[in-house]
Amino acid sequence: MAGEKLETVEVVQQKEEVPQIKSLGDFWTFMKGQLKPRGNIATPFNIISLPIMILGYIFIVYRLATGLGKPITNLNQEYPWGLWIGFDVVTGVAFAGGAYVLCFVVYILRAEKYHAIIRATVLNGFLAYLFYAGAIVLDIGRWWNIYNPMVGNDFGVNAVMFLVAWHFFLYMLAELVEFSPTIAEWLGMKWLRKILGSLTLGAVVFGICLSTLHQSGLAALMIMAKSKIHPLWYTEFIPILYFVSSIFAGLSMVIFEGSISHKVFGGQLDEAHHKHYDDILVGLSKICAVAMFGYFFLKAILLVHEHAVGYLFTPMGTWYLIEVIGFVLVPCFMFISGAQQKNTATIKFAAILTMLGIIINRLNYTFIAYNWYLPLSEKYWPAPMEYVITASIILTEIWAFRWIVNRMPVLKEPPAWAKAMEEH
Amino acid sequence: MDRRNFLKIIGSGAASAATGNLLTPGRTFAKDTPTVKEFYGILVDTTRCIGCRRCEKACAEANGLPVPDISESKSADVLKTKRKTTDTEYTIINSYDTEKGKFFVPKRCMHCNQPGCAAACLVKAMKKRPSGHVTWASNCIGCRLCMVSCPFDIPKFEYSKAMPRIQKCNLCFDRFNNGGIPACVEVCPTQALMFGSRRQILEEGKRRIATNPDKYIDHIYGEFEVGGTSHLYLSAVPFEQIGFRKDLGTKPYPEYSTGFLYAVPFIFVLWPIVMLGINRATKKDGHEHQEEKHEEKGKH
Amino acid sequence: MNRKWIFFWVSIAYLILISYGLYKVYTVEATLRVKEVPATIKPENKIAIAHTEIFGKLERPQVIFNHGKHEEAFKKEGCNTCHPEKDGQLIFDFPKTVKKKGKTAIMNAYHDGCIDCHKKQSSEKKKSGPAVCGDCHKEKDKSIAVKYPVVEFDFYYHDKHVKKLKEKIGKDDCGQCHHTYDINEEDEALALVYENGTEESCYYCHEFGQKRGPELTAITKVAEKKGLTIRKASHQQCLNCHLKYKEEYLKKGEKEACPTECIKCHTGKYRTVAELEKIVRPDRDQKDKPFIDIENSKMKGVTFDHKSHEANSKTCRSCHHETLNACDTCHSLTGKPEGNGINVANAYHHVFSEHSCAGCHNKKKEEKKCAGCHHFIPAMDVETMNPKKETCTACHSGKKDQIAMPKPLSTAGLNKDKVKKEVEIKVLEKEFEPSKFPHRDIIDKLVKVSNDSKMATYFHRNLQTLCAGCHHRSVSEAEAQKDTPPNCRNCHMTAYDRQNLNKIRLLSAYHSQCLGCHEKMNLEKGRKCTECHKAKPGDPKKIITMRNEKVVKQNTSIIINEWRPE
Repeated sequence: MAGEKLETVEVVQQKEEVPQIKSLGDFWTFMKGQLKPRGNIATPFNIISLPIMILGYIFIVYRLATGLGKPITNLNQEYPWGLWIGFDVVTGVAFAGGAYVLCFVVYILRAEKYHAIIRATVLNGFLAYLFYAGAIVLDIGRWWNIYNPMVGNDFGVNAVMFLVAWHFFLYMLAELVEFSPTIAEWLGMKWLRKILGSLTLGAVVFGICLSTLHQSGLAALMIMAKSKIHPLWYTEFIPILYFVSSIFAGLSMVIFEGSISHKVFGGQLDEAHHKHYDDILVGLSKICAVAMFGYFFLKAILLVHEHAVGYLFTPMGTWYLIEVIGFVLVPCFMFISGAQQKNTATIKFAAILTMLGIIINRLNYTFIAYNWYLPLSEKYWPAPMEYVITASIILTEIWAFRWIVNRMPVLKEPPAWAKAMEEH
Repeated sequence: MDRRNFLKIIGSGAASAATGNLLTPGRTFAKDTPTVKEFYGILVDTTRCIGCRRCEKACAEANGLPVPDISESKSADVLKTKRKTTDTEYTIINSYDTEKGKFFVPKRCMHCNQPGCAAACLVKAMKKRPSGHVTWASNCIGCRLCMVSCPFDIPKFEYSKAMPRIQKCNLCFDRFNNGGIPACVEVCPTQALMFGSRRQILEEGKRRIATNPDKYIDHIYGEFEVGGTSHLYLSAVPFEQIGFRKDLGTKPYPEYSTGFLYAVPFIFVLWPIVMLGINRATKKDGHEHQEEKHEEKGKH
Repeated sequence: MNRKWIFFWVSIAYLILISYGLYKVYTVEATLRVKEVPATIKPENKIAIAHTEIFGKLERPQVIFNHGKHEEAFKKEGCNTCHPEKDGQLIFDFPKTVKKKGKTAIMNAYHDGCIDCHKKQSSEKKKSGPAVCGDCHKEKDKSIAVKYPVVEFDFYYHDKHVKKLKEKIGKDDCGQCHHTYDINEEDEALALVYENGTEESCYYCHEFGQKRGPELTAITKVAEKKGLTIRKASHQQCLNCHLKYKEEYLKKGEKEACPTECIKCHTGKYRTVAELEKIVRPDRDQKDKPFIDIENSKMKGVTFDHKSHEANSKTCRSCHHETLNACDTCHSLTGKPEGNGINVANAYHHVFSEHSCAGCHNKKKEEKKCAGCHHFIPAMDVETMNPKKETCTACHSGKKDQIAMPKPLSTAGLNKDKVKKEVEIKVLEKEFEPSKFPHRDIIDKLVKVSNDSKMATYFHRNLQTLCAGCHHRSVSEAEAQKDTPPNCRNCHMTAYDRQNLNKIRLLSAYHSQCLGCHEKMNLEKGRKCTECHKAKPGDPKKIITMRNEKVVKQNTSIIINEWRPE
């Protein structure tokens, strides 16, 4: 079994040559080659996802042509933000937090253990921002003005949203810079790879600063909704809560998506890598557990600080306890137990629970615990088209991820010349 | 032509042009906009409002919105439910039954001194004008953060349009700039609405309370709520009974986000320092040797 | 495989939790609205025993005690079966004896008092009450309120009692009910005395919580210490007497005499001033028309028609708020401690007091027939904070025994051409048909209203006073022009005055004056817009001439608004 695998790896490595792109014509030929599908087209995943994506694109066109009203979304005057902002943008960005945490761990703390997954995580982060923060364009009512915050036309510098918008934009660039060595390797441009490699640390530091601010910035958007968010959730410190939760949200996503990638793209990796991956999972789960424990205590302190303990006995209190105990404390203990027993199944399950918890938490601030006192007739629940468009965005992102992973040295080893460059 | 001559010609030409301008009689200057130094607002006396809804009609006419039917029979129906402002109704009247009888309360944008919506807008589409008016401009991107940030839930989004706008009362900004007063104030038959500078209307509100202690409760809603608003309300009964929220506090809404915004420069300074420091501190010895080698190589 | 099943079931559990949580969250508003409002039941001789002032939050529901049934059951045995006696007088306390103080002692006293008797009754095979906790402390009685309307011992009752007692005893003996407390008497047993000519209302000493002069404060303190609230004192005083003579009157055939049942006195029905007008007032040797002349005062004396004021009040306490004496007994020219420092000028003239002359007159002006005009007329001269100077001479005539009632007003002398029958208001022509205002009819009606009221006739000395109700606030010389007071438009302009914000414009002047009057007088007519001015037929002209052009452009732009077909 082992021998066979080695052979495959060897064959792959022999096939690889450094692509020589000297002109636009070369580039075009190269790209045409890259666009060919690798592997089976009619996989179950493709068959299910393609119709959804196409339907989603049709709906997107419909939305751009006719606006945000029914039947496209269920948004109303009481609930201006719904599934797209709440899930695509805010939760998506929280899940992309794995990139900055892992960059911190790998490039700043120099924990080489996690080096193997850093590229996949950065790629995920970049695609997440590109697609999910890009989904903002869909949600914004006057999307043709989207360049206004960038270009001028009255910078609203006192607005948190301004900061968030710019940070998204800059962070996308920072992630692109961090990921660009991979692209350079893929294109075979050695001089570019050298330059980009030297920019990595700067991009990482910049990216972490930006991440800290925009993860907490997404919370600061809601900070002026004091009268509308239920007292159990609202505190002036929600930026800190969002920041801390983005740590374990991102890492849980890394665990979740990493596990799936390992199954799907396992062919690109060798046995040592797989074993190493379990170590990585254990390490990540420890970080998650610590962050979640801290988060839980922060929540408890803030509950007392805001004199909101009495609300625990109300219907909203039940929901709050479900979120905090069921989806923060329990996964925290599962992570600890999984790390101690080195049981990756527990870790993966805990990761899924954590992710659900983050989705619940972010959606609470957006439309569940927001304007919570309104009667049922005025409350918001996402419309079918919203679900379809969200699904199609996520699936498109997965397709993009798959395309890149199959072609660029994300999971597979970088080419020999790049490795040599890194050593010096 | 040499330089000296050239300058002479240009100089004299400019001088004559300038003199000519000064001396030309009857030149019309552009109409001066009033030098506005204070906020303007409306005092709403809910004890005077008779619920005739002429303000709704006038507002619709002044802003090109669909004009409502304010005949008595229609109004009786309409006033049975509690309404909110919509994307085609900048101001509405609600009727409330209280211990002291029936009261009619107009609801519209409060034009806060420090509006949450203006602080939330990242393109300054929602702007607080020097004259106190909070207006919307079309460079808006439609993000609806103003709707989230408004404690009174006033900005309304045109969901049904492909080119949607945020709709809310603009205190008749255009009319004001042409020397007029808000349309609703002009048509109110009982002078329940009074327009003037915030200082004047606050004074008037206090005067009314002081000279009619039985008629009003001793509180002007909007004097300090959310840091003060330009729409001030007088009432004969506690404000909760006529549909106002009492839990909004007196802290201006933008101040909630200043804490976060002030942290930004700190993060941008401290984080890089800390991280680069750790990065340097965690460097392994092996690499240092390599670096020395490189440096030596570089020197030579 | 085992682990997989664990994960599966845990996932199901989580799904259930999420669904449950979301259900709770989305239906939260429904639970918020439910508020428990205590139902009030008819008293029906029942008493609610809760004593929350002693027990705080109750562990068991309160007891709704049917006093009527018990009274009926123990008619023969008498009230002292349950209630204690002292010096031959029943004291309507329960329980009979409370050995110690404190929550448990009181609870036990109740239980012993009630349950023991019930047990005794049932052992004697007689009809009895509950002995089990839940049969008295019923859950359904938890939030019921039993409220008895206050008994108004009005002049009718007083007169009846005076007559009946005279019948019985043969002479006037006010000491049967009235007494005073001699604060200087050391022996408490002898402190309650009766002094002829000092009979007063029970409320003076037995109503607590009111600010009183030094002498009365001391007395009320004693009463308060003994727990003799007006409720307790009146029950003790009245019921004991009723119980004493009830049998006697029953034998005579007068079944309704000397009522002892709760609802017989607490009827909730109160007599009006008009019904009590002819009733003889209690006799304290009061003068019909005393001449009030304060020594060293600067104003002429006032002849005060006490008798007619008596006829127009429900109780003496409306004016005699602390003792049944003349005002200047306690209120001197410069003020003294008995009067709380309030000098006699303010005692008579304070415009917002409940007890002063000017205050009561001011309050009367709030009545429906007066408020139409008087709502807008300032109650007093703002500078001096006193009634307006014009009204002084109406009362301060300086003539003894003479109350000059002015003649009723008449419109006979009005010039028909100058005082128009109907006034046409055309200024609203843009939107409405001209409004036709029945000027003369209104004058006639107001004159009638004024002449019907004695007080109005007294103060409205001439017709101009009535005209000033609408033609107001201008210089008095202008308003005194008998036939042509100024028009509304002379002072109220149509334009908005940004310099004088509270200056009323013509539109609101008309509406506040007219509508205000109609509202205050609660008229049926003239409340709807179209009753006074009919809308113009056809396309109504726009009421706004200047528009917000930028906003209008956006709101009416075809491209923006018609992009999406409906």
